[in-house]
Amino acid sequence: MDAREDTVLSVEELRVSFGSGPDRTEVVRGLSYRLQKGKVLAVVGESGCGKTVHALSLLKLLPPGAEITEGRILYRGKDVLSLSAEALRKLRGAEMSMIFQDPMTSLNPIRTIGSQLVETILAHSTCSKLQAQARAVRLLKKVGIENARQRLNEYPFQFSGGQRQRIMIAMALCLNPSILIADEPTTALDVTIQAQILKLIKELQRQSGMAAVFITHNLAIVADIADEVLVLYGGYCVEQAAVEELFAAPKHPYTRGLLGSLVSLKRKETHLPAIEGYPPAPGTLQAGCPFAPRCPHVWDKCRASLPPLFERQGHKVRCWLVEKDEEPR
Amino acid sequence: MKNPVEIKNLYKAYPRRGAWLWGKAEEKTVLRDVTLQVGAREIVGLVGESGCGKTTLAKVLLGLEKYQSGSVQVQGLELKNLSKAGFKKLRRQVQVVFQDPYSSLDPRQTVRQILCEPWDIHGLHKEKNEREKALHSLMRAVGLDPVYLDRWPHEFSGGQRQRIAIARALALEPQLLVADEPVSALDVSVQAQILNLLKDISRTRALGMLFISHDFAVARFLCDRIAVMYQGQILEVAPTEELLQNPQHPYTEALLSAVPVPDPHMQKARQPVAIKTDNKRAASWCPYAPRCRYYAAAQCNRALPPETKTKEHFCACVLLPFQKEKSRYAV
Repeated sequence: MDAREDTVLSVEELRVSFGSGPDRTEVVRGLSYRLQKGKVLAVVGESGCGKTVHALSLLKLLPPGAEITEGRILYRGKDVLSLSAEALRKLRGAEMSMIFQDPMTSLNPIRTIGSQLVETILAHSTCSKLQAQARAVRLLKKVGIENARQRLNEYPFQFSGGQRQRIMIAMALCLNPSILIADEPTTALDVTIQAQILKLIKELQRQSGMAAVFITHNLAIVADIADEVLVLYGGYCVEQAAVEELFAAPKHPYTRGLLGSLVSLKRKETHLPAIEGYPPAPGTLQAGCPFAPRCPHVWDKCRASLPPLFERQGHKVRCWLVEKDEEPR
Repeated sequence: MKNPVEIKNLYKAYPRRGAWLWGKAEEKTVLRDVTLQVGAREIVGLVGESGCGKTTLAKVLLGLEKYQSGSVQVQGLELKNLSKAGFKKLRRQVQVVFQDPYSSLDPRQTVRQILCEPWDIHGLHKEKNEREKALHSLMRAVGLDPVYLDRWPHEFSGGQRQRIAIARALALEPQLLVADEPVSALDVSVQAQILNLLKDISRTRALGMLFISHDFAVARFLCDRIAVMYQGQILEVAPTEELLQNPQHPYTEALLSAVPVPDPHMQKARQPVAIKTDNKRAASWCPYAPRCRYYAAAQCNRALPPETKTKEHFCACVLLPFQKEKSRYAV
């Protein structure tokens, strides 16, 4: 099959910034990737690295003050950024849907969860209200909510945080979207429920060929669910590779540091090799590589100029080390 | 010698009003028959899902919550009917580090004010030079430069704030630190720094610690013993390596199987234990019975004394412990 036909989402040189004039801060600095049908791309990064802003821009949901300054987002070849409001409304939810990070504030507190689920289904399909309700019940059962039929009439405050997040997930999945954008969907959940949710997402992928952009800071989840991984730091993509490749042979010092500083369940350590320093606050970046102030391998060139995204056999790395390693000694 | 912390048969319930305003007040049990010790210089991990009572136990230990029955003793001080003076005394024994460093530091106090407040209250380090010296050594102990003393919390990143919170907890030189998920709100690359710091100070300051976490990997790194809690009851307690390599309780096994490992080959081959969500079973003695895959009505519905394998390994399950083969999910 032609790989291009399989591409459901492609992002080209995406740049997003906040504010204008001298206060302008760029938070996503030239991000490009392709997402194939049925595949999961994990976007990994720390707070302030631009991962959530990038996710919001995929559906044109950026808050006021933020602006996509450059780049294109193509959903099955259609340019999302140039769509009309009506076309966007049809796209959101039905074709591309999103799970937000915070389950406490993403549901309407004064309406029952049943009415919120049914509304979502009816807005995009022509089925009857009863059918929509039956579908809502099925979905709630699937995400592990007991007594789903009775609980349709309850309000968000009657559910625990984990249950609310599962309702959000049910809502995002209720129209069988072809792309799911999940922004830290399991961060607030217990490991047992997290395992259930990840299993559910994997099942849906197998059944309906759903693709997903999975935003997380948890590398163990990445190992579980992702096919490809993109590591963000300071708004830049610093490394991108297939998941096995990235875990087996991380090339960027930041990725190596992240993987090294993980506490393992498999062995007992006495001291963790931590990355020194703290992640940069948005808008405080200087010239050169964003990771230079914390990097153990830093040299003059890193501080002077930003490395390009080197590509070696499908493994992309934004680091001068790649070039240095290849020089004949 | 007596353990610094002795918790025996602790029972705690929160009052809960009925559906109507004038309805009968009900009680919701949050801690049931909890027995746990924390030895001198020992780090005890408390692991469990949200809502299982971990934080309530921490609050009881800090004297912030009253309890109905049982006994909690910190350095021989019984917390049941604590007087105001007793409470003040307790504060010099037990200190706390909270989960979220963004809401646990007063935004209108500088670091200096935050760190000096405990000394003002307890009348310590009154002399100016001495106080300055103490402040500097406190800052250095948590890996912060003393030049930051006059800055405000909002000028710091999450990891730095957590260091300030730890410094505040250490100011009174307590014997015991209660750390309630101190790294779960931090960035991954910063978590390791804070975990290393906690480990170092526990060693250098001979500090005991109750470390609350939902993350087995983090608990393994830091803790000497781990207690697994479920619905207000402690189901299994054992030394860290023993618990992870030889988990006895079905719940511990299920929890361990659900923790993802950061290795794509290994993780993709793993299957978490399916946890049942069927709650329709008869009320039974064991809180985990409705979800347990080994459930057997005859045994699980009776109150039987839990078995103890060795002096160190306790497991509140009447069915399986110490009989079954090594779990597939042991690490």
